[in-house]
Amino acid sequence: MKLITAILKPFKLDDVKNALQAHGINGMTVSEASGFGRQKGHTEVYRGAEYTVDLVPKVRLEVLVDDSEANSVVDVIVKAASTGSIGDGKVWTTPVDQIVRVRTGERGVDAI
Amino acid sequence: MGTRERRYRSNESDRYLASLFNEAIITLSQRAKNEGIALAAVGGYGRAELSPGSDLDIVILHNDSFSDDELSTFVNTLLYPLWDSKSVDHSVRTRAQTRDAAHDDLKVALGLLDIRLVSGDADLVAAVQHDSIDSWRKDSRKRLPELRRSLDERHERAGELAYLLEPDLKEARGGLRDINALRAIKLSGAFDVPLEKISWAESTLANIREALHETTQKNRDRLLFQEQDRVAQHLDYADADLLMSDVARAARSVDYLLNTTWHKIEFKGKDGLGRILRKPRTTSIARGISVANQEVIIDSQVEIADDAVLGLRAAAKAAQLGMPLSLDSCERLATVLKEGKAQLPSPWPREARENLVALLGAGAAMIDVFEALDQEEIIFSWIPEWSSVRSLPQRNALHRHTVDRHMVETAVRAAALTRNVHRPDLLLVGALFHDIGKGSEEDHSERGARLIAPLAIRFGFPHEDVETLKILVQHHLLLSATATRRDLDDHATIASILAVIPDFETLELLHALSIADGEATGRAAWSEWKASLVEELVNKVRKAMSGSTVALQPDITDEQRQIAQSGILRVNIEARGVDYSIEIISPDKPGLLSIVAGVLNLARLDVRSARTKSHGPSAVMKWIVTPDPHAPAITAEKLHRDIEEALRNSKDIEERINARTEAYAQLPTIPVPPPIVESIRDAATDATVFEVRSHDRPALLFRIGAAVAQSQVDIRSAIVTTLGAEAIDTLYVTEISGGALSDERAREVRERLASMLK
Repeated sequence: MKLITAILKPFKLDDVKNALQAHGINGMTVSEASGFGRQKGHTEVYRGAEYTVDLVPKVRLEVLVDDSEANSVVDVIVKAASTGSIGDGKVWTTPVDQIVRVRTGERGVDAI
Repeated sequence: MGTRERRYRSNESDRYLASLFNEAIITLSQRAKNEGIALAAVGGYGRAELSPGSDLDIVILHNDSFSDDELSTFVNTLLYPLWDSKSVDHSVRTRAQTRDAAHDDLKVALGLLDIRLVSGDADLVAAVQHDSIDSWRKDSRKRLPELRRSLDERHERAGELAYLLEPDLKEARGGLRDINALRAIKLSGAFDVPLEKISWAESTLANIREALHETTQKNRDRLLFQEQDRVAQHLDYADADLLMSDVARAARSVDYLLNTTWHKIEFKGKDGLGRILRKPRTTSIARGISVANQEVIIDSQVEIADDAVLGLRAAAKAAQLGMPLSLDSCERLATVLKEGKAQLPSPWPREARENLVALLGAGAAMIDVFEALDQEEIIFSWIPEWSSVRSLPQRNALHRHTVDRHMVETAVRAAALTRNVHRPDLLLVGALFHDIGKGSEEDHSERGARLIAPLAIRFGFPHEDVETLKILVQHHLLLSATATRRDLDDHATIASILAVIPDFETLELLHALSIADGEATGRAAWSEWKASLVEELVNKVRKAMSGSTVALQPDITDEQRQIAQSGILRVNIEARGVDYSIEIISPDKPGLLSIVAGVLNLARLDVRSARTKSHGPSAVMKWIVTPDPHAPAITAEKLHRDIEEALRNSKDIEERINARTEAYAQLPTIPVPPPIVESIRDAATDATVFEVRSHDRPALLFRIGAAVAQSQVDIRSAIVTTLGAEAIDTLYVTEISGGALSDERAREVRERLASMLK
């Protein structure tokens, strides 16, 4: 089992969510995040005062999938999230030892 | 369902307990039968108010003439049959033990206020009842603060009944326990609590609690989301929204009465420091309005029907001082309004609109005043549209409040953002009505834009302001929705905002409204993350816009030009309702703005707006002022003399003004956002523009003018605006020799202004 984590531009969330749902993925966790990668921060000038925006707002999306699904789900996310410009984000996978559904106690793939 | 059923349930329990008591009494020795022992009901059961799940709170009273064994057998025989069927909370005490327990435990003392005989020795119960009420009255000075502490703790824990998604009908603020507390306060004799004001609330909440017990078959008072539909159906409400609307209304009326009651207890006959006064000190603060007992009152000799703005003025003053509006004054005002008198004309006079803005601009201090206006149904006379959103619930996890309270909370947040905009009045009014379109199936923003227009026209806003308010209401979700869902690097995104937001002024208003709305909604809807996205969007739109927010220099007429050239002092006064419009053409000199503002202040004239411009050897000034309640009659001749005198010698003006402002300093103040001073160099070619945005205060303009004059520079033009309690002053400043200020000199002036405003 894998945990797929994606850092996305906020406005791309709806596209990615729709694409994942079309792919048969119905559960995901979404949270607000901020940070920077190669994009770095940028500088704003307003009425003569210059200030630097260090951290760029992003969305963090997490999905648990079976090993066999991982690659295709990553592809779905990357395709839906891409604008081709800098700051589009990143997607990575992490191996997961165990998953338990709290309500039923189901474990492993059944709990996804 | 209702009081009768709860009483019936209580009577049934009485009968059952009496039969058990009679069986148990057989276990006692012959001499004591029906003497020296009694069974009594306390608390809710004492009041014969039993819901299906209510506990039976009982006390077994005895006169200490029984052995421990005998008493133990009696109690066990009495209670044993109850263990399985009823939830019983019992205690066994003598009269003296009961007195001690009440003394040590507030909850016991409160329960005993409702003690009632069920069976046995009636004299014993009567004696305990007498003790309980007597000591409650005697010790009220100690017990009421204790009661208040316990209420505060409970409110902190249980939250507000009116606004919680899943409230506890008994424990939450404004709930059934608070009604009992009010009853206890009345019994103490400390203050006559008009309980009839909450009789609807009490029966409504008790009925809903009873329905909750019946539908869930559980002794639980928390009205969970999943149970609201069933309870609503059980009580014949059309839907759960209407049920929760009634819960909110009931809770708010209880809370309001509790608040006003505590205030009376705390301040009646005392000054601000809690010292007892023989006669309440009354300080007049505006026409027909005073402060007494730490609350704002409408003067008793004033005929409310003769002054349509009086109510709004009193509300604004109360909020700006952070004091409540007295219950008596609210009731007097409500009565007059209900008789159809003191009706505001359409459009409202400027003073009424200014007072509405000053009320809204008071921030958190406004909430209690607004609540009083709602509870006494005064607000509906002024703004009938408000009734459509009154206690309208928003049953989702996103919102914390009912629609009306959410809009009030948004105005509170907006008051903290008034320095970010050039039209605080439009921000505050936009905030108060941004969700006015809720309550129908139609898109609330579209409907709201339609509803705000006639309202804004009635408030007396000019056409362009009405249009701005329409944009604010219609697009109040635009910035947050766009910032989170659209690509901010895409030109089309920016263009889509530019298509609906015409200028900087509207953009900054909409930005501030988005923040206020988000913050008022709560953490689920607003975060630093979202705020940063919205800010990024606003910055990008701002860059793509042209224009400026700086106020333009005023125009002067040919006639004014001619007189200005002559260099002679001329003063004209024109009465405009409660205001005066004053034209002053005066020989110019450094510090003139400060001198004239000082003279007007000493004449007890409050500056609402001013436009001044230098021309030749003179300055042409137009002032709009409001006289304070004790202002002497004002004439052009007198003002002419005063200005002439001040132009010759302005030294003592400051001293006299300081003496006046000290008198104001004794009144309390509310927290306000800090002032902002900005210098804008590229706004004019031959002058540096300074913009001061600050909460209004006595002699503000006098001090601003003086601070600028200290830097040895010249004010070419000034545009002074007071909107409610917020002031925006724009000064076009040049070196005495002419020309704009260097960066260094501009900083010097800015720092002087900032340090004066501290």
